[in-house]
Amino acid sequence: MHADRTNRTLLIVLALLLLAVSLDAGAASIGVYGTGTEHSTLMDNPTGRYFGAEGVWLWPVIAVAALIIGLLALRWLIALLFSTDRAGDLLIQPSTGAGRTILANRALTDAVVGEIEGYRGVDSARARLIGDPDDPELVVRAVLEETADFTALRQRIETEALTHARQALGNMSLPAQLDLTITDRRATRVS
Amino acid sequence: MRLVNRVLAAVLSLALLAAAVLLIATVVADRTSHHQGIVHWRAAYHWARTTTWDAGSIRVICGILILAGLVLLIVELKPARVSRLAADPTEAGADAIDTAYTRRGLAAAIRSAVTAVDGVRSTSVKVKRRTVKIAATASAQDRTAARSLRDPITDAVRQRLSALKLRRTLSVSVRVAPRSR
Repeated sequence: MHADRTNRTLLIVLALLLLAVSLDAGAASIGVYGTGTEHSTLMDNPTGRYFGAEGVWLWPVIAVAALIIGLLALRWLIALLFSTDRAGDLLIQPSTGAGRTILANRALTDAVVGEIEGYRGVDSARARLIGDPDDPELVVRAVLEETADFTALRQRIETEALTHARQALGNMSLPAQLDLTITDRRATRVS
Repeated sequence: MRLVNRVLAAVLSLALLAAAVLLIATVVADRTSHHQGIVHWRAAYHWARTTTWDAGSIRVICGILILAGLVLLIVELKPARVSRLAADPTEAGADAIDTAYTRRGLAAAIRSAVTAVDGVRSTSVKVKRRTVKIAATASAQDRTAARSLRDPITDAVRQRLSALKLRRTLSVSVRVAPRSR
């Protein structure tokens, strides 16, 4: 995930802020607010005078606001650098109520990949479980050979590999995304 | 685009963090020892008190910021290039599976179908949300011979698209040029 939605939203906010501030300053600079403003200094306005008069308490307040903004920026940076959308290991709900079974995320995705790569016409495959471990989504990418019967392979992956994954998790409505790609690389498989 | 946004976001978050630290350090230094600290804010304050709004430097800064804001806004609001084209859900083998072909995979499939047509030397394929654009080069140098390839190429592409069974029918545009030498 890497905070993609947050990135876009904050970059749009930054763009709007840049535009608002620079258009306002530009308007003052070309005399839209009158020649008095145009020829006055940057600090000679109600905001500048307010900062001059109330600086004793205003700057510490601004420093506190900066601390909050700095902490939020640090959190954003950590999310950018270290977050992942991969789900952790999955807890399988026991039918008897006794004990608990944990299915390693990797065990499931490796099994799905192994099964799909075994189909004739599939060049390679990748799988990952993303989202919350209590509500994961299976994302599979299969590279098909250009000579394959695409629709038949698609249906086989859906009805066999993905259905087996759902059965293993005991969740037949597990959301799944299947990305099919086609390679024009010559097939090396002999069987 | 996501990668560019991540880099921009990292730069922005670092800049915010650095600005916050500098501001706090400056306020603390001023309040505790009446020193300027790291940032020489008195020079900036003096500049702001002596510079008028109609100064050339202010206009240049405003122009640069307007341009930067506009470019950033346009880039962020521009719809992302389609990366996957949905497969026909009526052909699905199971429920609740979002199946699609990747744009690159689709282009590769179409490219191989076109290059398989007799007389085609090379081809480039562009897949967009609703259209497929093919620019092929014929083996022949003769313009009429190149033009005669247009229909077989269109048929090959349509056949390949039909085999892929996409949810949306893509329109096909084919341009064939003779070999240059």
